[in-house]
Amino acid sequence: GDSWGIFTFLCAALCQLPALPALNCTEELGTSQSIQKTYDLTRYLEHQLRTLAGTYLNYLGPPFNEPDFNPPRLARAERVPSATVDLDLWRGLTDNARLAANYRAYSRLLCYLRALDGQAATADLRHRLGHFCSSLQGLVLSIAGVMSSLGYPLPVGPVVGPPTGPPSSPLVVAPNDFLKKMDDFWLLKELQTWLWRSAKDFNRLKKKVPPAVVTLRLEARGF
Amino acid sequence: SPTDSHIQYERVGADVTMKCGSMDWDAAVTWTANGTDIDESHLNGSYLILKNVDLTQSGQYSCYEGSSWHLKYQTYLRVGIPPKEPVLMCRSNNYPKGFYCSWHLPTPTYIPNSFNISVIHGTREMVCEKDAFPRNRCHIRYLQLFSTVKYKVTLTVTNALGKNSTTLTFDEFAIVKPDPPESVVAKPVPSNPRRLEVSWKNPSSWPDPDSFPLKFFLRYRPLILDQWQHVELSDGTSHTITDAYAGKEYIIQVAAKDNDIGTWSDWSVAVHATPWTEEPMYLTTEAQLTETTSASTSSFMPPPTTKICDKGAVVGSGAVAVCWTAGLVLAAYGVLFI
Repeated sequence: GDSWGIFTFLCAALCQLPALPALNCTEELGTSQSIQKTYDLTRYLEHQLRTLAGTYLNYLGPPFNEPDFNPPRLARAERVPSATVDLDLWRGLTDNARLAANYRAYSRLLCYLRALDGQAATADLRHRLGHFCSSLQGLVLSIAGVMSSLGYPLPVGPVVGPPTGPPSSPLVVAPNDFLKKMDDFWLLKELQTWLWRSAKDFNRLKKKVPPAVVTLRLEARGF
Repeated sequence: SPTDSHIQYERVGADVTMKCGSMDWDAAVTWTANGTDIDESHLNGSYLILKNVDLTQSGQYSCYEGSSWHLKYQTYLRVGIPPKEPVLMCRSNNYPKGFYCSWHLPTPTYIPNSFNISVIHGTREMVCEKDAFPRNRCHIRYLQLFSTVKYKVTLTVTNALGKNSTTLTFDEFAIVKPDPPESVVAKPVPSNPRRLEVSWKNPSSWPDPDSFPLKFFLRYRPLILDQWQHVELSDGTSHTITDAYAGKEYIIQVAAKDNDIGTWSDWSVAVHATPWTEEPMYLTTEAQLTETTSASTSSFMPPPTTKICDKGAVVGSGAVAVCWTAGLVLAAYGVLFI
């Protein structure tokens, strides 16, 4: 009963990722290449996730593994960062905001996935989740690399879920097995949607970051 | 009034009884169908009985009082069938603007039908705006992008004899399918007997190729063969085929897909092109005819990879000229580097 609450708390602690110094390797690659690399990572993860989600949903069993399963979104599912955004708003995002949204989302999603990994019942699932988490962490770091190469500050530690605060606010815990499975279902769904969205986010960034950025930086360093 | 226009819908195979307005059963009447008198054998008193009606019996039925020939009743009989389950399709060819749905009935009903479409996204009901043309189509604008909630589209078709419906449930990404590429052009490349230059344009319905780039799939084959060759291109709207069989007419098509989501478009309109050949076919002399006939039998096999001056593979006297040119170029380079 308390386990979800504990995980939420642990995530809040673990996910205070320190502001990364500009990684030397990405500086050498150049910003547009790091963006390309990040884009490629999202595609790779999206492919990986298809297999992972299929396996995990089968483990959850019906109705979660049925293709037509279309449950209403419960309020509790709002803790998982959603990729859904108003069309004009999405178009108008600044590069900084766009990158920050991705960074925050994947940091939180990574936490939730790690929690899932901890609870997974079979060795096969743990292995798959573990592998996916490593790749996802690579994505988070890659985004951080792009942000720092563009001179944007990293968002300060992600806000993970509602606080386990005063006694009046209830602990957000799955009271039963079915609701816990629903949480897992929505987590995987949002993760998949985020990966689709990120491909588009990074497409936009690719076009907007001119190669001149790289040239300017090299000039500044060389002379 | 008895002569008010009145329409009566009946199912194929039904038994229809028509009463002559307010006339008594034993009144003397005459019925006509589309102006032609109906034989008394179809009458039961003043009622007209039509058994097991079929489509040919649709028409105007009129009933006249026996002696006065006053028109007592008139109806228009339309024989039809209740609607079968409609066929519904939804597609986003203009992502991320929105999507459209189109529908049709698998078999005709022979009577007027009305369609009603409802689109539900989570808890919200959205309005699908009917298109002026084609008629059985409506479109929706996305308000939100990257949604995890599925869209549920229900189409109901109703006519006087019954109703039927079908529902589609899908994710935003699943229905993305662009229109085929436009303005596909294939041209021979001068002095290159094995090349064809193909270019095309993004489909005009795709609103934002910068943020939502398309990738392309090209397929080509010589008309004389059935096997297609394929090339997938993640960038650009042109490609040069470099392994065309010399002198053979090719058929070429291109398809498009969003780089990351959805499915491939249908194939574009096919274009035909023949690679550049050295001389026009109708000017072949006797000597060259024998040369080309013997060479053409080997052109059906995959040509070996050749250097420019490999006499075995190149057809015609152009080979010698090419060798000469290559020789001159090499000599020129040699001079430069001395």
